Parts: sequence; structure tokens; C-alpha cells
Amino acid sequence: MKKYIWILILFLLTSLAYAEDKLSFSGSLKNETSIRIENLNGDLTKEKNIVELAGQYKINGDELVFFTKAKYWYDAAYDARDKLDIAQHYEGHIQRSDWLRDCYLDYTNGPWFLRLGKQQVAWGQADGITILDRVNPVDLREFWLPDMQDIRIPLWMANINYSPKLNSNLQLLFVPDWEQSEAAYLGAPFVFRSFTEFDAFMQLMMRNHFTWDVKLNPVGHQFNNATWGLQWSDRIGDLDYTLNFLYSHYTSARNVISLTGTKYTVNRNFPLYRIYGCSFNKTFTNPGPMQGITLRGDFAYYNDEPTYFGSPTAASTKGYKRWDNKFWLIGIDRNFLTRWTGSFQFSQYILEHAKVGRTAAQETYPMNAYTYGPMDQVENIFSLKLSSHFFNDRLKPEVLWSFTDDNQGRLSPKVNYEITDKLVFSLGVHYFYGNVWDTNGQFRDENQFYTQLKYTF
Amino acid sequence: MKKLLVLLAAIVLMANIGLAAELEYFQIYKPKEGMTADEIMRIEYFVKYTLFAHDAHFEGKALFVDKAGSVLEKTTLRERITLGRKSDDIAYKDLVMFTSPQVKGLATLTWTYMNPKRQQDSWLWIPSLRRIRKISAANSDDTFMGSDFTVEDILTRRFDDETYTLIGSENFKGYTCEYDKKTYFKGVPCFVIEAKPIKKPWYYSKRILWVDKDTGGGIYEEMYDPLGRMFKTIFKDYEIINVNGKEYAVQVLLEGKDLRTGHRTVIINSDIKFDGGLSEDLFTERALMQSRW
Repeated sequence: MKKYIWILILFLLTSLAYAEDKLSFSGSLKNETSIRIENLNGDLTKEKNIVELAGQYKINGDELVFFTKAKYWYDAAYDARDKLDIAQHYEGHIQRSDWLRDCYLDYTNGPWFLRLGKQQVAWGQADGITILDRVNPVDLREFWLPDMQDIRIPLWMANINYSPKLNSNLQLLFVPDWEQSEAAYLGAPFVFRSFTEFDAFMQLMMRNHFTWDVKLNPVGHQFNNATWGLQWSDRIGDLDYTLNFLYSHYTSARNVISLTGTKYTVNRNFPLYRIYGCSFNKTFTNPGPMQGITLRGDFAYYNDEPTYFGSPTAASTKGYKRWDNKFWLIGIDRNFLTRWTGSFQFSQYILEHAKVGRTAAQETYPMNAYTYGPMDQVENIFSLKLSSHFFNDRLKPEVLWSFTDDNQGRLSPKVNYEITDKLVFSLGVHYFYGNVWDTNGQFRDENQFYTQLKYTF
Repeated sequence: MKKLLVLLAAIVLMANIGLAAELEYFQIYKPKEGMTADEIMRIEYFVKYTLFAHDAHFEGKALFVDKAGSVLEKTTLRERITLGRKSDDIAYKDLVMFTSPQVKGLATLTWTYMNPKRQQDSWLWIPSLRRIRKISAANSDDTFMGSDFTVEDILTRRFDDETYTLIGSENFKGYTCEYDKKTYFKGVPCFVIEAKPIKKPWYYSKRILWVDKDTGGGIYEEMYDPLGRMFKTIFKDYEIINVNGKEYAVQVLLEGKDLRTGHRTVIINSDIKFDGGLSEDLFTERALMQSRW
């Protein structure tokens, strides 16, 4: 794979000599280091070096443009620490075809805009929560901590847009490509509890002479398995809105376990589901008490969403059911005190399940896919982000607090400092708290202090 | 009946005064001797926001220089379409794309309304999210892109935000720009105007402006804090660009100095094009969505 990157670099550099005005490129070198707070002396959890290179070639002015971006990273922490060794193969360097982050051709002509190739598409207005933003699978090997552009796994697709009138757009997505979402492997800092619990159960049963047959049933790259998406965006007055529809296979595996004699069979499935949704945003521009406030929101109805179920007391899954769940969010943004920006979000994930107390219904309790812990019928999720800037934008502090009503969450303060116009240093902490069966609480022993140094060119 | 006619006549007269005071888009205005401070300042704002042109294209860079001489540079590409459209109240739309490495791809789309009390609408393309975010209008007294200019210095200050007094006329003493060490506008005839903000308390108590009698462009201003101490100076150099026989006065160099910190910002506009026939389709969310970096 390295050789492809070097070929790409050579291609870009040689092309530059012949087509200075048509070709432009940029890139970055970045180091990310993190240490577990519980043991600052030696618990290195990340020593990642990342190189990124992007190039754009204007084949015919702005009408026809080719764009590509490649990325390679290597995490030395997986070589340096015995504890992480087990995950080295999965976590130590870039996986699969993830190195190619973008590779597409843009065609613009009047009301038409086509983007054909490997890309990512972001829908919705929510920050840090994927309510409508589910076109691309996600890479959660570092949980939800990286930027969303690094979390989304790009796919090959046709992104066709038509604008019938000013400020409106109809977008059709045809995605014949399919990739599985990624999760951290055993031994890595952000391995999900559901994975470790399942592995522990497997090991226990194997010691008792049971055998396991794990079958991965990926979605084949066939026309009838393609993902389809449709988004209509328009403006009424000064309210922007979208209507969305997505027909897709789930990208996170849903396990079905069966036992025959002493043999366990695990089928890892990716069932089909549909999203019907909408989003909006509005800034109050006219004088009045609301002036300066931006309201935004998402709503999604997940039809046949594969949801784990089980007993809330045993905290173990019995499989999944295809339920009709709902997820909505409202966000409020406002600038205040000259240089501060505040952003608050409230969302509810409303899960279809039977009521507590009915014995027969206990088995239909929804389970958290990250932990196999029980979920509430209505999960209330909040986030608050404050950010500012000082010294002519050189110093930018921010703090993000995301939490739920189950007394679990994450607090992430961070400071960026612009050393030069090409070199930025970041310093931050991720502090997790809560019950180990909750999404954030499961990492309460993985609180980390981190630094990042990025050079762009 | 007589009273009613007098009242009607007064209303018509006031309406006409109001219309006369509002300058028509796509025209070129120059200040004249005998004009009031208000009339001169309407022209100054007209020139500042290039409302004489249908569209504009600027490529430029901003240099941030601290007291020790350390320099940060950001490059931008800016496009504007002037509409002056009463049906949806839109005065003009701006698209600013950052082209320097660290912020490459970051782009903002801003719609400015004709109603002076109405805030701008802004959308931001955030490369790290690969998404468009509607953003709340920045506070007017916040710094513009980390520069020594405030948001209102560059974008949001309108004619109706201040009251004006004509102090007099004089030949400008000249300004020696720290960026290129050249002395500009020495001996150029100017109107001197005092502008006081309506909003109180505010971060400045008054501005003293020197407005070029030839172009109507504000070439130099001093800003005073609420205690009456000068804390900032802003210098603007103009170039006359001939477009289809019309002479447009355009800002090509701005230097803002914060006298409290010793920090200064230089904005240089180059590759300026007017009336190139930019389509309004370029100033939409979909156009932002097409960002690649």
C-alpha cells in the first residue's frame, strides 16, 4: 500500500511541473500522542504519526475537476507496549482501503452537480451524534474522539445533485460499495465492553470444551445490495430544511448466536433498514430577544433498525430485533461575551420495547450495542460546548461535555495554539465517567491526556 | 381638510427625503463640497461595500504581525454579488474561502440584508466535519479572523449604527504604512468626520475619519475607547479600477494597528475583478457543499 502512496506523490509532483495552474495540492504531517491519566509514567496509549496528501486537478476549469486524498498512519504504541501487542495487527497501522480518503470526479453544469467516486457524505445538523449522518460507515477504533471526517469511512458512490431553483437541491446517492464499520480490537484502549464480554464468554466455553464457528456475512457488492439515499433541501423564508431518505444495510454487525450440542455458531449479520428523516436550521436575524441565536435540529425514524435485546439484569444479549426506533435532536448556538461561543444540544433516542415489569417482556429490553448493558426506553443525551479565542486567534480553548441522564458522560477540555501559520499544537484531556455498562462509562479507566502537533503545507 | 392636505404633503416630502437619502445600487457617487456628514458617510459605506458593482472577485492575504515582529499569514479568495433586492431584503452575498494550508477549505457564505437592523445570515463549511453549519452572527465587537479589525470594522457596521458630525476639511497629513514603508495620501483633500456609536456602552466612544474628497473612500481613522484614549488606527489604500468605462474605487491595502498591544494586521487585496457576471448560484449552500479540501 505504501507504494501506491509514493506513486501518488510522484504523480502529483511531476504533474505540478507541467500544469501549475491546473493542479494544486496540500498535505500535512501530524503526531498524536496520548497517555492514560492513571499512569502518566508509562501507559502510552497512542503514538500515532499521520501523513496526508491531497491533490486537485482542474481538467476543464471548474466544470470538470479531479480530487484525491491519501492518508497513511502508523501507531508505534502497539509496538512499544506488550499490553497492546494483541491489537497490533488491527490498530498499529491503517487498515483495508482506508488509505484512500477521497478519489472523485466533480462535474458541474448549470443546475447539475455530480460527484463520482470515493467520498463521504454528511447529512443532518447534529454535532458528534449520527442521527441522519449514516450514509458512510464509521471507524470507532478511537471511539468518537477523532474529527468526524476521520471517523467516516469513505465509500465509492454516485452523488447526483440537481437544483431546480435557487437555494434548493435534490440529491440522489447510489452507493454500490459497502464497508463494515470498524471497532477497536481486544487490547486496544477503546475496545467496546460488548467485545470483551463476548470474548470472555467464548474463552470460558472453550475451556469447557465447547467450539465456536463465527460466520461473517458481509453485504455483497451487488446492485440489489446497493445503498440508496435521497435528500431534498430548500429554504422557506429564512428557515433551511432537508427531507431525507436512506435505504441501507446496517454497517455494524449484529450477532446471532445458536448452540447445537457443544458447538456455538455466531452469524454476524448486517440487516437492511431504512431512515426517514428531516433536519432544519434557522438563525434569528431580526431584532428581538432571539436575535443572534441559531436553532438547528434533526429527526430520524429508523424503520427495522436492528437492535440488540436481552435481560436487563443479566446484561447479556439474546440477539437482535428489527425495531422502529426514533432519534431527534435540537441544538442552540449563540455567541456571547464578545469572543465566546456556546453550543447546547439535547437529543432523545426513543427505542421500541416492551414495558418493564412484564416478565415475558423482560427479554425484549433494548441493549447497548457497545456494552450489552441495558438501555432506557428513552435515552436522553445532552452536550454542551464552549469555545473561545485569544491573542489574535492564536490560542483557542474549548471544552465539550457530553452526558446523559444516567449520570455518565465525557468531559473533553482542549487548547489549540498556533505556533506558526503552518504549525499547530494541541493539548487536551478526555475524562470519562459513569457506569461500566454505559457508552462513556465503559471507558472510565481510560481517561487520557493527549498532545497533537500538526504541520500543514 | 386643509390640515389633512398639509399632513399628506409632509408625509410625501418625508418619504422623498428618505428615498433621496438611500443611494441607488450600481451607481457611482462622489462627495461634494457642501454635503452633510450623513451624505458623505452614506457614500463612504457605499464605497466600502462596493455597492456600485454587480459582482466582485478578490484574492488576498492577511498578515498578522505581533509586537516582536513574528508574522502569521492567511490567504483568502473572496467573491461578492450585489443584489439590492427588495423582495427578499438581500443587499449582497459574500463567499470567503481560505486558501492557506492550515485552514484550507474553510469557507463562509454570508448574506447581508438591506434592513440595517437585521443581522447577517452565515453558513460555514467546516472541513473537519465535512459539513455545512449555520452559524450565529459573530458579535460585532469580536475580532475578525483574529485580526486587529473587529467584525463590524470589516463586515457589519452600517450607516445607521452611528451619528455623524462634520468636523471640517483638511489636507491629509499622510500615513506611512509599516508594511511597505511608503507614505500614502500626503496632502490629499479630505473631509474629517466624527462618528459616534449609537450602541452604548460600546467598545469605542468615537471614530475620527478622513474621507477622500475625490473617491468618497475612508482612508484613515482613529478609534477612541470609552475613556477617550486612542486605541486603534485603520488605514486603507484605494486603487481606481476602470470597468466598462466606470471608475471603481477599491480597497487594495488595509493596515490596522492596536496601540495597546502593538499588534497589527495587514490585508492585501490582489487580482481584483469586477462585473465578471458571477452567478447567484455560486452563493448557495450547495456551492459550499462542493468544497473539496
